[in-house]
Parts: sequence; C-alpha cells; structure tokens
Amino acid sequence: MSEAVQSISASITSDEAQARRRRRNAADTRLRLYGIGAISIAIGLLGILILTLAIGGYQAFVQTHIRIQFPISTENVDPENPSEGNYRNVVREGLAALLPPAESPAQQRAMDQILTNNTQFIVRNAVVANPSVIGGALTLEVPASDIFDQLNKGVVRRATPEQNRRVTDQQIAWFDALVEEGRVSTPFNWGLFFNADSRFPELAGLAGAITGSFYALLVCFLISFPVGIAAATYLEEFAPKNRWTDLIEVNINNLAAVPSIVFGLLGLAVFIQIFGLPRSAPLVGGMVLALMTLPTIIIVTRNALKAVPPSIREAAYGMGASPQQVILHHVLPLSLPGILTGTIIGLAQALGETAPLLLIGMNAFITSPPGGIMDASTALPTQIYIWADSPERGFVARTSAGILVLLGFLLIMNAIAVFLRQRLERRW
Amino acid sequence: MNAMTESKGSTLVENPSVPTVSAGVAMKGDTVKVFYGAKEALHGVSLEIERNRVTSLIGPSGCGKSTFLRCLNRMNDTIEGCRVEGRITLDDDDIYDPSLDVVELRARVGMVFQKPNPFPKSIYENVAYGPKIHGMVHSKSELDEVVVSSLRRAGLFEEVKDRLNEPGTGLSGGQQQRLCIARAIATQPEVLLMDEPCSALDPIATAVIEELIDELRENFTIVIVTHSMQQAARVSQKTAFFHLGNLIEEGPTEQIFTNPVNKQTQDYIMGRIG
Repeated sequence: MSEAVQSISASITSDEAQARRRRRNAADTRLRLYGIGAISIAIGLLGILILTLAIGGYQAFVQTHIRIQFPISTENVDPENPSEGNYRNVVREGLAALLPPAESPAQQRAMDQILTNNTQFIVRNAVVANPSVIGGALTLEVPASDIFDQLNKGVVRRATPEQNRRVTDQQIAWFDALVEEGRVSTPFNWGLFFNADSRFPELAGLAGAITGSFYALLVCFLISFPVGIAAATYLEEFAPKNRWTDLIEVNINNLAAVPSIVFGLLGLAVFIQIFGLPRSAPLVGGMVLALMTLPTIIIVTRNALKAVPPSIREAAYGMGASPQQVILHHVLPLSLPGILTGTIIGLAQALGETAPLLLIGMNAFITSPPGGIMDASTALPTQIYIWADSPERGFVARTSAGILVLLGFLLIMNAIAVFLRQRLERRW
Repeated sequence: MNAMTESKGSTLVENPSVPTVSAGVAMKGDTVKVFYGAKEALHGVSLEIERNRVTSLIGPSGCGKSTFLRCLNRMNDTIEGCRVEGRITLDDDDIYDPSLDVVELRARVGMVFQKPNPFPKSIYENVAYGPKIHGMVHSKSELDEVVVSSLRRAGLFEEVKDRLNEPGTGLSGGQQQRLCIARAIATQPEVLLMDEPCSALDPIATAVIEELIDELRENFTIVIVTHSMQQAARVSQKTAFFHLGNLIEEGPTEQIFTNPVNKQTQDYIMGRIG
C-alpha cells in the first residue's frame, strides 16, 4: 500500500507530470479568455447599438421653439365665435411684426414656412381656451417647422449651396434675425411623449403608440396570464403522465418557437375575418400577442411550480388539504414570484413584437391616441416602423428616439422582473 | 356502515405475542399489499396498531416500513402508479372504501415527516391551518385556543409565544419538527404517524422529541418509523420488524429486542443485516 502511495507522489513531481499540469493550466486560462472575449464582444455590440441610437436620436428629445406675440384683433377673431376666426392672418401678423414685410406672395409663403404648419390651430386652441385675449395679444412658444428645426440643430448645413438646401438664404436671414432677438429656444421635447403621430415631424409624438401598446399589453396580460396559469397548473398538478400530455407538452414548446408573423396571419384570418373584430385595434393586437405570450407563460409557470419543494405538498396533503387547497394555499403563492417574473419577461417580448401587429393593421397613420381597446391605434414598434419609412429629415431622429423609448420601457419591465425575483424569492 | 359490520364479522387470527392488556385496536392492516407500477413493494402485511401506544416500525432501508406507514393515511394516493390491496381499517371503517373521504381520514390520522416541513408562513398560521381547512373552529378566539394548546402539547409554546407571527421556517430544526407535530395534532387526530421524525435532527433535539412522543401517547395513538433501534427501544411499546417488504416479526418492544423469535430479527437487532 505504502509503495503505491510513494509511486504516485513520485509521479506528480516528474517532468512529464509538470508538463501536463502546465498544459492543463494553459487550457484553463484559454477557456477563461474565450469567455471574457465573448462577453466583450456582446457588450461591445450592445454599446455600439445604444451609442448609434443615442447619437441619432438625442436631437429628437429637444425641439426648436420660437416665442412670438400674436395680436388677436377683433377683425380676425370674432369674440362671439372664437373658434371660427381667421387664424392664418393672426399668425402672419404675428410674424410680420418681427420680420421685414414680405415683398411678394412667394416670399410670404416662404415666411409662412418658418413656423409649424399647425401654428394657426395652436393659436386657435389657446384663444378658445382663454377668450379674454381677443382684442389684445397672446404670446406663445410655437414649434419651428421641421426644416428650421433641422437648421437650428445643424442637420441642415449652412455651407451647402443654396440650390441643394431646403431653406433659402432669405429664410436663414429671417431665422437668424429671430435668433438675434432671443426668441428661439430648444427646450426638452415633451411633445415626443404627449403628442400623437403627425404628418409634421416637429409635432409627431409617441402618445398614440404608447397608449396603443399599453392597451394591447393589457389585453395580452388579461388573456394570457389566467389561461397560462390554469393550463400550467393542470399540466403540472393534475394531468396524468401519458402520451397525450407528452404530445401537448411538445406542442406547447413548439408553439413558443412559431415565428410571430404566423400568429399575425392567424389573427388576421380568425379574429378580423371570422370574428369581425375591428382592424388596427389594440384588442386584436393584444389577442395576437397573447397567443405568442401564452407558451412562454405556461413554460415558466410549470418550471416555477416544479421548483416548489415536494415536502410542502406532502405537508399540506398530510394535513388533509384537498388538491385545490394545496394548490391555492401553498403551491401557487410559493411559485408566484417565478410566475410573475416570467410573465413580465413574456410581456416585454410582446411589447417589442412588430410583425403580427403589421398584419392586423396596427401600422396605420392615426393622429390621436386610442380611447379604448376597440379604437384604431399604433403600437411602439409599429410606430417606429412607420417613422423609419417617412422621408422627412425630422423622422430620422424621431425613429431613433422611438427606439430608445421602447428600449427604455423594456428596461423598466426587466428591472421590475429582477426586483420581484430578488424581493419575493424564497430560499429553502 | 356496511364496511363496519363486515369487519366485525371478519375473523383475524390474534397474534399470541400481543399482550392482553391492550387498550383496544385503533388501526388494523390485513394482508396489505402495495404495488409501485408492476413492482410489489409490500407482500401482504397484517398489523394491529393499538390505541394510546407507540408502535415502532423498524427494518433496513427499502424494507417497506415507510410504505406501510403511508398506507395508513393514504399518502400513497399522491404517488402515481401506486396501488394498495388488502384492507386497512380505522375504528373498523375501511379507509380505502370509496365512500370514505380522504380529507377526513387525514384529519383523523395525522402525519409528521422525516424532514421538518413547516409551511413558509407564520408559526400561528402553520398550526391554525388544519383546524381552518377542516372547519373545526367557529371563531378567532377558539382558533387562538387551539393554536396555543397544540403548541403547548408539542412543548413549543414557551419558546415561541412571543413570536407567533414570525415565519415557522425561521425556527431551528428541532423546533420546526415540534411545530410540525403541533400542526399535526391541532386537528385532534386519533392516530399520529411519524416517518423518521428525528433523522434530520441533532441528538439534543431528538431527545426532546422522544420525550414529547412519550407524553403524546396519553392522548394519541402513535406509529413511528425509525432507523434507530435505540429510539424504537426507548419510545415504543410495540415493535414491528420489516424486511424486504414482509413483516417478519411483531411484538412487545421488550421482547423483540431481548428475545426475538425470528432469526432475521435477531440478525438485524445485532447489526448483522441492514
């Protein structure tokens, strides 16, 4: 026996053994380096993505505004009926007071381009809200039109020859005069969050898309959460283990891998064509997303139920609890953190899903937030899709900004999931 | 009803080794066979559990003692593919009779498990759970009373009276096991089954539980499965020795340990098998 021990101790100091140890250590180091390399690549790619978006999108978070005093004369606005006034003239008079008078109709049109096309409606709404200004004057911060916004942000370059530029030298001179007077400011662009979509980039915002996504996710949650939990509970706690339940299990896993566009086609064919539900509605969007989220929720719920130690079930059964009591009093409450975490991650996936929403028409041009789940609406990813397709310069930055907002929501949801997991998780 | 009259009529051969001073039979197993799928784990065990006594089931691992214990409150029902044949009665009622409600049975035959398994709820909630789900109490004050008296009988009340609302999982192992005993006796069962209740505990906690078992005998009939022959000798009045799914020998504990009839029993007691 002692001889064997001696021969072993001799062999671990031999040259051969030392060489073997060096090779093993080198292999360990290599493996660790591969891992660090892989993580560096992943973080680097993510960093590039976020950086590109931030560079492209930060301009959309501020908006060029011009402060103008609009004279509200009784000739233009009838005090009896303020909503029917000639606000086009009001806007022109407001600008005329600041700039040299226009010499031709063409010059007048060029001057009109400085402020956003909707200025007359902005002024009208302000007057209707406060009719006492009629006969006096009203000072407002009005968004500049897209081209001047881009000029102010340096996207439209002054060095570009005039014929290749969207703004004329004359217009630049007017704008510079306004800057000179200290009337131009670039505050944070709240309109990005509180305006609905618009043809004019300076007015377009995500309010409609955010509301639409909210309603769609609400519908998705209300359908997939109870159905998913009920299905998972049955499969995990009641279903006999036989060929049929195996088949169901395999198919649920397959369902999780079905491309989302297929669910969109299904929604179009079944929910819209057969059930006659409205197009572009968050209700249909939510139902389609629920189909996609359901397998995820079933799978995570089953795993969470499996993770409840059998001793708890035994204890409850041993006390004479019925299966329903065992599940409702013990198993489900204990697995709830896992279920909630999985559900939030499933919903986060649904929030970013685009293809099925395109098929059911949630990529329409809709200029007001939906009032309910039956109203036509867009969703965040489809809004990004629409903006990415729009030719105006202002939409380039807004597309990136929309993506950043979407990523922000995803980040918040994942953070909630992590928080819930850490907070509620029980250690045995 | 039918089951009762039948069992009264049935004639079981009295085991001569059972002492005549028995306080009556609480539970009785008659040629109990248990199958896990096609495998027969228990080959026809007949055993009487006497009232207000501690019956210990001993034997090497895999001998079927735990399987038999779990038949007594039908915990085997929760195992898929498990089938029980033969007849087990509680107060002459067949517990495998389809008309008998398993929920009610488990309120009458409580169980304490090998690993302390309190619910991850408060100490109070743990003990109150049984009376609550079986509708045994009608008011909060009544429930309070049941909880306190159960904890007292389990010898735990003094240690936890100031923290009844703290989680039961925060107690020490021995305390957790006594909490499980309190939880089991809160429903006033006739029989208390204990499946190796001390195997996860240190010697001091084990001693406390063994003392407790002796006290509980006054009010309950106890069946205990144990790996420790010393424990069987210390706490039980009757011992049954299982081997390879058969009941080899049963009798008063003293006789089993000092003068076993069967050769296999003798070998096991002497530490030669197991």
